[in-house]
Amino acid sequence: MVEAFAVASGKGGTGKTTSTMALGMALAERYDVTVVDADTGMANLLFHAGLADVETTLHDVLVEGGVPVEAATYDRFGMSVVPCGTSLAAFESVEPDRLRDVVAELAADTDVLLLDSPATLNSKSAVLPIVLADRVVVVLNPTVPAISDGLKVQEYALSYGSDIAGTVFNRVRGDITGVKAKAERYFEGPTLASVPESDAIQAARSAGVPLLDHAPESPAAAAFRTAAGRLSPNDGDHEDVAERFRTAVIPDPP
Amino acid sequence: MIPDGELLRSRVVSALSPALEDALDRELDGYALVSPRNALLDSGNDRGVITFESGVATLAYHTGTDRGGPPALADIGSPPYQFELYALAAEALELPHRTETLRIPPGAAAERLAGDAELAARVRAAVADDGDERSERDAVEAFLENEAAVSDIRDAARTDALERAEEWGFSEALEE
Repeated sequence: MVEAFAVASGKGGTGKTTSTMALGMALAERYDVTVVDADTGMANLLFHAGLADVETTLHDVLVEGGVPVEAATYDRFGMSVVPCGTSLAAFESVEPDRLRDVVAELAADTDVLLLDSPATLNSKSAVLPIVLADRVVVVLNPTVPAISDGLKVQEYALSYGSDIAGTVFNRVRGDITGVKAKAERYFEGPTLASVPESDAIQAARSAGVPLLDHAPESPAAAAFRTAAGRLSPNDGDHEDVAERFRTAVIPDPP
Repeated sequence: MIPDGELLRSRVVSALSPALEDALDRELDGYALVSPRNALLDSGNDRGVITFESGVATLAYHTGTDRGGPPALADIGSPPYQFELYALAAEALELPHRTETLRIPPGAAAERLAGDAELAARVRAAVADDGDERSERDAVEAFLENEAAVSDIRDAARTDALERAEEWGFSEALEE
């Protein structure tokens, strides 16, 4: 089985990468999980995964004549992690369309693919992970701008034939029962979890490790585990999915 | 008017700061009974009642003088105190907390009973944070109740997505 999820928010600062790593670690207890930093313009995942010093990244895979994706895949925290690098020059020579092939290749050899998506919808490469995914996890903060942008992400996903896995309310302070109930009227899929704001999240980030490694007993970690439990990845044939990524989405250039 | 709570601690204290700080840190909903030590030798009925909402001392009442609000704090007298702290569900305190005549300003208990200006400042900061949280939450709920506005955002995003599909080569992915 394999299912690809895009973890997306449409807005920066919602804790999307923290969420991607946390969901990945929680899912890795039951599945073979691969996490990809699909935000080629603003690499972030490497800082959350203790990979800040690695030499080969997804950038080296996405350039013309690039290295195979295995060279940029690292075993960390029970998952396969494919980080992006921080070099602007490398980013500029990247061909984002190649992400499709990379995803297809990774899909052949994993149960769950998590694509940490760019926090914007303003370019093809930013939207591509949402198009490639089977389902999108929308990461929200309980604020008006974050929810507006989350709604936009949802509309893009639905327009391009991707389903919504559900929403994660992140950085929650106080009781947001009312907010959740009202938001559920507009978002497809369930509220997967409400993750409380926590010093542990910043501490994990500073330590360069995922929250579930740094503070596995924290309420925030427990909330992410709940969210992962509600995702129930679908069965899908590896080959079918890989083929779909290769051919179905983007027409070959003329 | 305040039901019995669950006793968390009962002790004689010479300073109230640690107890008030503890209530703040654990965001306690509940109340404290504060009696000057010498009152224990008297009727035992001469004590202050202070209620807490999310760790912030919110109401004060003195059983001996039957006064409420800041004057009740003055009536409590000097340490050492017999101090009893009780936890109670926030809902049980909702009604009493609406009694304006008994309310004390945030930080007043820390300042006047414990003489701790720093703790009083912390209490006021916590209340301000809480207010920000609440106004943010109210804004979000108001936004989500505005179905027309939400609908506009969704329609505009869907139009954008369809328009860009061709430009970006996603046309084949479009939902029929």
